[in-house]
Amino acid sequence: MKRRDEASAMKQPQVYKMIENVERVVVGKTKEIELSFIALLSGGHVLLDDVPGVGKTMMVRAIAKTLGADFKRIQFTPDLLPSDVTGVSVFNQKTMEFQFRPGPVMANVVLADEINRTSPKTQAALLEALEEGSVTTDGETRELQNPFFVMATQNPIEYGGTYPLPEAQLDRFLFKFKIGYPTIEEEIDVLNRVEKTHPIESLQPVLSLDDLVTIQQQVKNVYVDESVKKYIVNIVNATREHHSVYLGASPRASIALMKAGQAYAFMQDREFVVPDDIKALAPFALQHRILLNSDAKLSNTTNERVIKDVIDKVPIPVGEKSF
Amino acid sequence: MKRMFNKQPSSITHLFIYALAFLILWEWLRPIPSVTNTGQIEVFVWFALFSAAMIYLRVNLVYMIPSLLIGSIYGLHYIFNNQAPFLSRDGGIETVKYFLSDFLYNFQLMFTWQLSSLTPFFRTFLLFLLLGLICYLLYFWIFHTRKIFFFLLASIIYITVLDTFTVVDASMAIIRVVVIGFFMMTLLHMLKIQDEEKEVGRRSNTFISSAWMYTLIFMILIATSVGYAAPKFEPQWADPVPTFKQYVLGESGTGTGTRRVGYGENDERLGGGFVQDFGTVFYAEVEEPSYWRGESKHEYTGFGWTNEPVMRDSYAVFEEEIDYYMFRDSVEVDELEVTITMGDGVGFNHLFYPGQLTSYDTDAHRYAVNGDSGSNAPLTFMTDVNAGKIIAQTANENDDVSLIEYTLSYDNPSFSINALQNDPGDDPESIRELYLQLPEDLPDRIGDLAEEIVEGYDNRYDQVVAVEQYFSRNGFEYRTTDVPIPEEGQDYVDQFLFETQYGYCDNYSTAMAVLLRTLDIPTRWVKGFTEGEEIDTLEDGVRRYEISNSNAHSWVEVFFPEVGWVPFEPTQGFDNNVEFYEEREEIEIDIDTDRTNDENDTPSNDRDPLVDFGENDDDFSSSPGSGSDRERDGGLLSTSISAKSFWISLIVILFVFLAYRKQNIIQNKYFLLRYRLIGNDETFKSAYQRLLWILSNEGLPREEDETLREYAIRIDRMLNSGTMSQLTRTYEKLYYGGQVADGEWDRNRSSWEEIVKLMNS
Repeated sequence: MKRRDEASAMKQPQVYKMIENVERVVVGKTKEIELSFIALLSGGHVLLDDVPGVGKTMMVRAIAKTLGADFKRIQFTPDLLPSDVTGVSVFNQKTMEFQFRPGPVMANVVLADEINRTSPKTQAALLEALEEGSVTTDGETRELQNPFFVMATQNPIEYGGTYPLPEAQLDRFLFKFKIGYPTIEEEIDVLNRVEKTHPIESLQPVLSLDDLVTIQQQVKNVYVDESVKKYIVNIVNATREHHSVYLGASPRASIALMKAGQAYAFMQDREFVVPDDIKALAPFALQHRILLNSDAKLSNTTNERVIKDVIDKVPIPVGEKSF
Repeated sequence: MKRMFNKQPSSITHLFIYALAFLILWEWLRPIPSVTNTGQIEVFVWFALFSAAMIYLRVNLVYMIPSLLIGSIYGLHYIFNNQAPFLSRDGGIETVKYFLSDFLYNFQLMFTWQLSSLTPFFRTFLLFLLLGLICYLLYFWIFHTRKIFFFLLASIIYITVLDTFTVVDASMAIIRVVVIGFFMMTLLHMLKIQDEEKEVGRRSNTFISSAWMYTLIFMILIATSVGYAAPKFEPQWADPVPTFKQYVLGESGTGTGTRRVGYGENDERLGGGFVQDFGTVFYAEVEEPSYWRGESKHEYTGFGWTNEPVMRDSYAVFEEEIDYYMFRDSVEVDELEVTITMGDGVGFNHLFYPGQLTSYDTDAHRYAVNGDSGSNAPLTFMTDVNAGKIIAQTANENDDVSLIEYTLSYDNPSFSINALQNDPGDDPESIRELYLQLPEDLPDRIGDLAEEIVEGYDNRYDQVVAVEQYFSRNGFEYRTTDVPIPEEGQDYVDQFLFETQYGYCDNYSTAMAVLLRTLDIPTRWVKGFTEGEEIDTLEDGVRRYEISNSNAHSWVEVFFPEVGWVPFEPTQGFDNNVEFYEEREEIEIDIDTDRTNDENDTPSNDRDPLVDFGENDDDFSSSPGSGSDRERDGGLLSTSISAKSFWISLIVILFVFLAYRKQNIIQNKYFLLRYRLIGNDETFKSAYQRLLWILSNEGLPREEDETLREYAIRIDRMLNSGTMSQLTRTYEKLYYGGQVADGEWDRNRSSWEEIVKLMNS
């Protein structure tokens, strides 16, 4: 994402109309908004690893409103049950039948707040939805809505009373990143905007859900050259061979990286993926998919540093010398 | 100048380099007192130091110019008017007054282009001016262009030229310049690299590590001391001044450098080409033209000829007896007389004579002893009975005798072919011993060839004639240049007979002698001169011949037991003037050949293998093997370096040097042209790859983890353009996008060329 201004001057108009719309509410977080849209367009989900109050909810709401989509928020607590997520069948005394009452997951855009505060059982209920695009209750599988986009947040691990997400489940998120605090100027701007009325109130949809589905379809048509695929695989493979890594990224990571690359290329109005796309997205797509070994942990190496190391080492494909 | 004042001097390292450059400037001044009539250089050195300091401190021009002017006037005062102190009443002021009037006067002279009339005072002022400018130039080279090689090269050329052509001894100066120069160049280069690295953002400071510095000092000191202390050859090339003179003026002075034709003494190593020299050796007044015999040699080494001298007192001179017989009494002879006058500056201590020497007129000769032509020291003569060389000497063997003019009588033979053909060929043992010698490793094919040549001839004379004529009948070519010298393990005759088949008299005569010896025919190798050029006809049928160095020659004499030694001439195009009754003459000779080289022969140095005729005689009496190895090397070297090859090498070296310096530019030009010709959509990818290659060659390589876009942006920033990004986008479309080019090359060609051209500029 660096040097976007220089390297990718082109912007896909529909997507950037949405992004600008969201930016009316969320100040100074262009990069994070873009990442969210990449996930949205490629059918992935996002895990935000951040402290409360930095605008996570506001960002998701703004995205939902921009799409005119159905938005639900689930606040995960230790006593939340799986059925509170997926929905539950209740007995209708009028019809004398069980009737399914959909849970909050049955929406287009879902904010799963503080997902690591709930029990693994409840987490699993959500994560099945993420992976399968459907939920099963009472032996019946129900399709989720399309499009379906989940943005989960979690408090940083060191906070007490949490249940860290298992690796297998982290893998289900396309990206994991932080929103971070705004700068002083941005924060003042935030204050100015919310002084009278909150701008989210006046936010209008700029695109229909159908349009979004069409765009998601187009993203799948973005061309990925063999050389770029090889680059992706080389990067993912290098995480497995890195000396600081205990568990490297899975093939699912390769798929995720490629799909994200397609979406990113599409957002830049390009018909093909270039290594720059992959290089820019790899840190967000890979850092939550590896486990460091104990040596690395002891020496304070972080996942971010390992991924950067890997990216610096893998050669960029630039074509054979044909002379 | 403006440029120089708007930038801070970069670092202490630059100052250090500047100081080193000043030291080299000092080296320029140092030889001045030796080669001009300038008395003192301290003034100039101080002035240069003063200018350099002012320039380095970037004193404002308003102050600098007057200061330098005052400095130079003080210098002038010091040099030209040092009776009165500069600050006294008739000191500095007088000098200034004089300076002004002198300046005006000289200024007018300059306008009227009378440069040679400029006064010394004014010239000195100009030298001060020049020094100031040079100091600025040094500053500019070091602090701005960061290139000092040209200055260093000029310094080295200056010093070497002075050392070569003047009395200046620059052997220490050259060491100083080289050491200082190495420091300057490496430091400056290091700074340049650091700057470049800073530009591409890889380095943040200009500090030169001390480890690096110590290594540099260590390396240079080691290299210099090894170079200084290591044993060296004596100069392998002759002193260039006389050599050039020789080339340019054709003077026969001190024939050292090249091999020239002439009569020399050392024949141990024959071969090699030579150049003609028409310097006169002697004049002869004689009735019949004939070859002039100097001496013969009997031992063939595989490379040349040597002789074991056996000296006897000469009776011929005093008692009119023949002491070196050539012919039997049966041979018909005419007794003739000849007067020989040596050319100017030519002196031999031995005689040249035709035929068989019978007497020498001791009343009518002139000679010089140790260069004194009025000497009356009585001469005695010795004959080397193996070589037929008759040498004059005084009672003191170390005296250097040069015969100037002498008269002698000789027998001019006519040989009966019948007698020769009927000669039984029973050679005495003493003859066989000396004149059938051959090297043990002589290739067998020479003997085989000899057998083949004489097949069908049953007597010695016919066989000899067959061999004599073999060369001209079998396409051998007479040639004086490019004649090789046999290498170790190679035989001189074998090379001539079977490989080159060209050469000059030494080749032919030696080949004939060796061929005959393989047939058991006693033969010896003779050297001397051909009859020379007839330049005048005197009374009584006497003619005057001029014999020059180019008449030096060699031929063979074959022994016939009943006749004696009969000369034959195998060399093509020559005819010796020996008469045979039935009209069969032998050959003559002609070209000369000896190798010569060598340096000036001062009398009594032993050595010189081939003393040129123009030189002194002396030392003929020294032992035969007097040519030392060194001389031989000199001969070899000089033959392999002709003027032509020198110039060709020089041009090639220059060309290679230029090509090396400009290799990137040349390469880039080539690719510009190439892609102009073959550039199309199919080659777009290769053109782009080539561009990456060129950029990398120019020191801007793409990092492995750098994407093309990132790289393009970096290049564009550096070149201050957007063309690389544009090209890269197109390339991405074709390579990552899998699209097929359609007119991409035409649209992007100018961008591609622009970058390549920017690299060249």
